Amino acid sequence: MTTITLPSPRPITSRLRSVMKLHIANPWTTITLPWIILGTIFAANLAIWALIFLNTPESAHADIAKGLQWSGASLYIFVYMMVVAIQAVNVTFPFALGYGVTRRDFFLGTAVQFVTLSAMYAAGLTILATIETATNGWGLGGRMFTAAYFGSDLPWYLQFFVFFVLMLFFFFVGAVLGAVYVRWKATGVTFFLVALGALVILALYLLTLTDSWAAVGEFLAAAGFVGTYAWSLVITAISGVAGYLILRRATPRA
Amino acid sequence: MTAVIEVDGLTRRYGRLAAVDDATFTLEGNRIHGLLGRNGAGKTTLMQLLTGQEFASSGTIRVFGQSPVENAGVLQHVSFIKESQRYPEDFRPKHVLRSAPWFFENWDAEFAEQLVDDFRLPLNTRIKKLSRGQLSAIGVIVGLASRAPLTFFDEPYLGLDAVARQTFYDRLLEDYAEHPRTVVLSTHLIDEVANLLEHVLVIDQGRIIIDEDADTLRGSATTVVGTRSAVDAFVEGREILHRDGLGGLATVTVAGLDAKGRAAASAAGLELGPVSLQQLIIRLTNVSEKEFEHSA
Repeated sequence: MTTITLPSPRPITSRLRSVMKLHIANPWTTITLPWIILGTIFAANLAIWALIFLNTPESAHADIAKGLQWSGASLYIFVYMMVVAIQAVNVTFPFALGYGVTRRDFFLGTAVQFVTLSAMYAAGLTILATIETATNGWGLGGRMFTAAYFGSDLPWYLQFFVFFVLMLFFFFVGAVLGAVYVRWKATGVTFFLVALGALVILALYLLTLTDSWAAVGEFLAAAGFVGTYAWSLVITAISGVAGYLILRRATPRA
Repeated sequence: MTAVIEVDGLTRRYGRLAAVDDATFTLEGNRIHGLLGRNGAGKTTLMQLLTGQEFASSGTIRVFGQSPVENAGVLQHVSFIKESQRYPEDFRPKHVLRSAPWFFENWDAEFAEQLVDDFRLPLNTRIKKLSRGQLSAIGVIVGLASRAPLTFFDEPYLGLDAVARQTFYDRLLEDYAEHPRTVVLSTHLIDEVANLLEHVLVIDQGRIIIDEDADTLRGSATTVVGTRSAVDAFVEGREILHRDGLGGLATVTVAGLDAKGRAAASAAGLELGPVSLQQLIIRLTNVSEKEFEHSA
């Protein structure tokens, strides 16, 4: 008996593009629904801002705007993307393997798609933040996209950067959680979270015992607002590599 | 003849349980192979190993001459929709049909549409809400329309009614005749697919106990029916696979009856009958269990 010689595989770019498209084969969950929810939250906020704006004296408006900068209204979209990432690894991964995709191609294609989606959402949020600033809070002093933790007085490209790295962070942390679940199921996720919690507590102890909190403060001050966000890329990158290493030996089970 | 799958000494252990135990076999290209065995015999694990989804504990696997594990060149020619396949949460059948051609270069969209009609698959219902039969239909449609050079069907007819099952067998044979490829069909309902199969692998408790051409296998056993005394006299010294009796009558399944044996049986006034693949495998499986008990 002889053995067949295979034609060379499809180029990797074409393989990765297929995986990327698979994540948005149904764009509803990843693209359409998040914007609809965001729009709904925005409309509700608009109504509340109008209510406050129309029923308070003008002298109080500056104070109110100050309070509104702590709005958490657009935070949901980041947590939502973490769930998208968990599901992408947990459910789309076994499906892609049935289509003859390798784990490596799946993870690379998925990572590129996460970066693309992060850029798309960051761009949208930056545009909304710019309008919010330009219209002085939609004419009502409202704050949703320029909340304090996104940096309200940044130039647009740094604003974009903050949204972008935040998105990346939630996507890739979600990918690791999904990978842990695929490989070790619920026990693995529990163990992982407990271990992570223990590490954080250990770090807190060490910082306190060695009197290093001042150093941490100095470090963050030196890094600055945007620089601190940039440091989150380290965790994002570690998550990306860990996610791949975990998935590389994972087998989808029913 | 061309080997598409070559497996040597393949074992997959989960703790102390060997789901696949020292399997060695070769599957030729452009044939329909049956992977038969009881539930839990190791069929799905074996197919997961062959498609690089599961990792071997020991032994080697060659698919198109190469290891399938993380091998894009091999896997792009492989389609394997598991019986328990999970789909993305928000997927409807139309999303499966939309995405499949991105992964299978031979995908035939027209054929897929025809199959959707044949199986009356609703394209716009969430996959989670589909019936077991409709879920199976998706797997069958992807398996057929992908025309992957190596296609696995894992218990493809679960929940399908008799008409839909017949449709599957008909379409598979028609399309296979026009587009020859290697098909591995796993099932524990043997009689229905017996006529499709050209080669049979039987797996039991992780071990390959039969690896044989379907025709050879069908001819390998015969039932002998007659009066108890005549049957007993005839089967004396032959390999008996199974014995049944009612009153003074006996039915015995014997292995390897040649022309001379057949003549002798007729002379003794005994009736000879064929053994169905399913009966044969059930009997051979029992024998192996007995042998196993003896050796243990």
